[in-house]
Amino acid sequence: MSKHYDAIIVGGGVTGAIMAKMLSEGGKNVLILEAGIKGAMKPKNYRKYLNKLYTEGGIRGMPNGPYPWNASAPSPAIPTAPNPKSEQDPYFVFRTEKHFMSDYLRMLGGTTLHWQGTSLRMVANDFKMQTVYGRGRDWPLSYEDLEPAYRRAEFELGVSADVEDQRFFGWFPEGYVYPMHKLPQSRVDKFFLDTIQDKTVELEGNTYPLKVISIPVARNSTPNPKYGIYSGYDPIPSVGNRDHGLRCQGNSSCMPLCPVQAKYSALKTLNGLTEKGKVKIKTQSVVSRLIINNETGKITAVEYKHYKDPDSPENHKLKQAGGTIIILAANAIENATLLLASGAANSSQQVGRNLMDHPYLYTWGYAPKRVFPFRGPDTTSGMESLRDGEFRKVHASFRASLSNWGWSGEPKNQLSKLIENKIYGKQLRHTLGDRMTRMVKIGFMFEQLPSYENRVTIDDNYKDKMGNYRPVLSYGYDDYTKGGIEAAVTKVWKKISEYAKIEDETQYPYPAPGGYQRMNYNGMDYNIMGSGHIVGTHRMGRYSKDSVTDRNMKAWDHDNLYVVGPGNQVTIGTANPTLTTAALAVRASEAILKELE
Amino acid sequence: MNAKEKIRDSEISELHKLLQDALEVEHATIPPYFTAWLSMMEGFNYEPKEIVKSVLIEEMLHLTLVANIMNAVRGIPKLTHRDFVPRYPHTLPHSGDHFKIHIEKFSEKALNTFLHIEKPEVKGILPKGEGFSTIGQFYAYVGSRIDYLCDTYGEETVFCGKIDLQIRPEDYYGSGAVVVVKNRNTAHEAINIIAEQGEGAHEGLFDADRNILNSGEGKELAHYYRFKEILLQRHYTKNDTPKSGPSGKELKVDYDKVYPLKKDTHRREYPEDSDIRGALNEFANSYNQLLVSLEDAFNGNRGRLTEGIARMFALRNQGLAIIQTPINNGQRTIGLDFTPN
Repeated sequence: MSKHYDAIIVGGGVTGAIMAKMLSEGGKNVLILEAGIKGAMKPKNYRKYLNKLYTEGGIRGMPNGPYPWNASAPSPAIPTAPNPKSEQDPYFVFRTEKHFMSDYLRMLGGTTLHWQGTSLRMVANDFKMQTVYGRGRDWPLSYEDLEPAYRRAEFELGVSADVEDQRFFGWFPEGYVYPMHKLPQSRVDKFFLDTIQDKTVELEGNTYPLKVISIPVARNSTPNPKYGIYSGYDPIPSVGNRDHGLRCQGNSSCMPLCPVQAKYSALKTLNGLTEKGKVKIKTQSVVSRLIINNETGKITAVEYKHYKDPDSPENHKLKQAGGTIIILAANAIENATLLLASGAANSSQQVGRNLMDHPYLYTWGYAPKRVFPFRGPDTTSGMESLRDGEFRKVHASFRASLSNWGWSGEPKNQLSKLIENKIYGKQLRHTLGDRMTRMVKIGFMFEQLPSYENRVTIDDNYKDKMGNYRPVLSYGYDDYTKGGIEAAVTKVWKKISEYAKIEDETQYPYPAPGGYQRMNYNGMDYNIMGSGHIVGTHRMGRYSKDSVTDRNMKAWDHDNLYVVGPGNQVTIGTANPTLTTAALAVRASEAILKELE
Repeated sequence: MNAKEKIRDSEISELHKLLQDALEVEHATIPPYFTAWLSMMEGFNYEPKEIVKSVLIEEMLHLTLVANIMNAVRGIPKLTHRDFVPRYPHTLPHSGDHFKIHIEKFSEKALNTFLHIEKPEVKGILPKGEGFSTIGQFYAYVGSRIDYLCDTYGEETVFCGKIDLQIRPEDYYGSGAVVVVKNRNTAHEAINIIAEQGEGAHEGLFDADRNILNSGEGKELAHYYRFKEILLQRHYTKNDTPKSGPSGKELKVDYDKVYPLKKDTHRREYPEDSDIRGALNEFANSYNQLLVSLEDAFNGNRGRLTEGIARMFALRNQGLAIIQTPINNGQRTIGLDFTPN
């Protein structure tokens, strides 16, 4: 065994990057073990992946599509989405009829290489669901407890937003502003602001406003000169080219990859660290087991498999690395799989349980006038007022993301349909021009409750080519979530389309197209996607008997093991989880620094 | 020295005139650099293209810095008057040797012109004849006039412009920070950035070690040496000197993967009702609109800087369509004409 580190971090995504930064700033020696390749960290590769997205994006499975397949550290693919590689060689094993519809990326930088950038805080009541609504569970933390870490997270990710808009649900300290001003709101946003703002909808006997507000995003915009908590903010440019990425340019092609890296990815944080030298990053190092001292319960080392060639998983070297503190900072599903494979941290039997995502549903139609979509980043505003309310006693809360990209992939379909109907020439151009400029689409994102049955397990029969356990998943939607979906479509979308005079074109074809799965509730069928918001598999809690970690994300069962990431979330609420993940990483780092003092 | 004394009109006008000339000098490099950059085909010449772009972006910073100095001394930056966009071939204002700059494709010849533009100041060599032999000398003279006025009338008398009119760091991005000019020191700071980014500081390869936060790069090669790297097809290392030349990694250049656009195109070469003439008119019009937004931004309407940026994207697309259009049986493509009318 070689050098002893103060901390070993398993996983080079957003959690690992922020923790490595904070621990190294505190003078600690840190090793990051990343299962995937260095990949997009090399500017040449980043450009290659961009090119792949532009040339093959439509035929490859999204959002992992542009990235190379890695047989040594396979990434999951969204079931039913076309992805030739993962069909030959699937990674997830499904135990239930309903599939888990989200993926993640195993590469340095992690899933921030294909995230949307939305950086909403959770709502205060998300932390005390059981107390307030008698649903789900309470966190061992309150919103106020996590608030300082949220601020630091907004600094680390570089978030652009208008704090006044965000006060709708959240408490912010007096005088706080985000690092950068909000991105300009789109014409689509303005259309909804003009038509539905402050109109209302009735849910479970109460009236709620339909409030459209700008959303916080981790994309560089104009720095706010009033931002002073961390002595001003300098937008971080792209990795490898300081002329790129200092502002969002509104390229409407930023999912999954921002062409100029104006959107945050963990690469930016990692890039700053390797230059300073306190952090060592070893890629192509798949951690397969935690080695536990049976007497002390401490993790003495991590065992990892280092490979040279991603295509030759069998050619790897078994190595070990030792550290004072061991931090699991991989994806929530990977953290759970590794803990289960190591027989670690599971005295509560909660490891792998409570797997949650945001089931995602689109509704769409034609606006009565031109709103000029297909401009700017995919979303700049949301209908955010139904993220909390008394109705959560009965059904899921949700947020509605307003699409700036019309019906996304639809232009091609529209064109084919018109040509099939023998519409050509001037009439074709006119019809297409009229329809394309009036397309509106709303993406509804629903809360799920923690459930014992939605879970990750392992099975000796299912291992990848390197011999590591593949995640075995059981997953489904309960009536709480289905009730939310029903309310969103039959009440909220109905009201929105009435107020805004939208010609409703929503229909959910059977069979569900690639990337979607069918869901039936009260006689209605819906096609549901995942959001890639993988949460809950190693939740934190007040008591060791029903949670995996304490409120600082230290494993109850092992004195020097921290398990950090969205897997700690007790409930999922309706916030896209990356900002909360970053805040949890901040909190855990502070706890570790205190412990190592 | 009497700080209360009123500044003489002729003296302040001379400074305003010098700064307006500086605007024109900085601007005159933009069409040629832009054309060379655009002429490199997508997918090839990645490094040369990024290098030329980095210089182009810094010239825009210089333009902005000069505008800030002008506003600080109550000058009015003008970008839209007749002859602001010169007809190329063009000689830089105050240039001692009447060196001609062309609008042409990226080539060794173009690089040599660029090197001439960014040529480092040699200390101790005095300007020949009536002009200056380097841009550095010209800015040194501007600096000396500011010093003279401050010494004679006092700093507060000289720097009496409205601060609000200046572009601020948060308005501008790329290529280091904008300096808000408030006094003699900040004016010199702005001038030094311009001179050092162009020619290098203290006869070295790099610009001074300014604090470029988070970029991971403390020092940047001066423009002159960036162009030299392309010409010599090799990168400089930290230990190289102007004398030693570059000894780093190879820098690949492919002069064939460049649109063979026609040099110094004048749109009157094409019939008035032709598509080509139409496209060239539209391009010159967009360029003019860009200058209108910038002039407005430099005169207090800072928000219009963003609009200018949007126009730059349009300009790229329009320009690309033009220089991809073959003429002369495909031997050449149409060139660019930035000059209004």
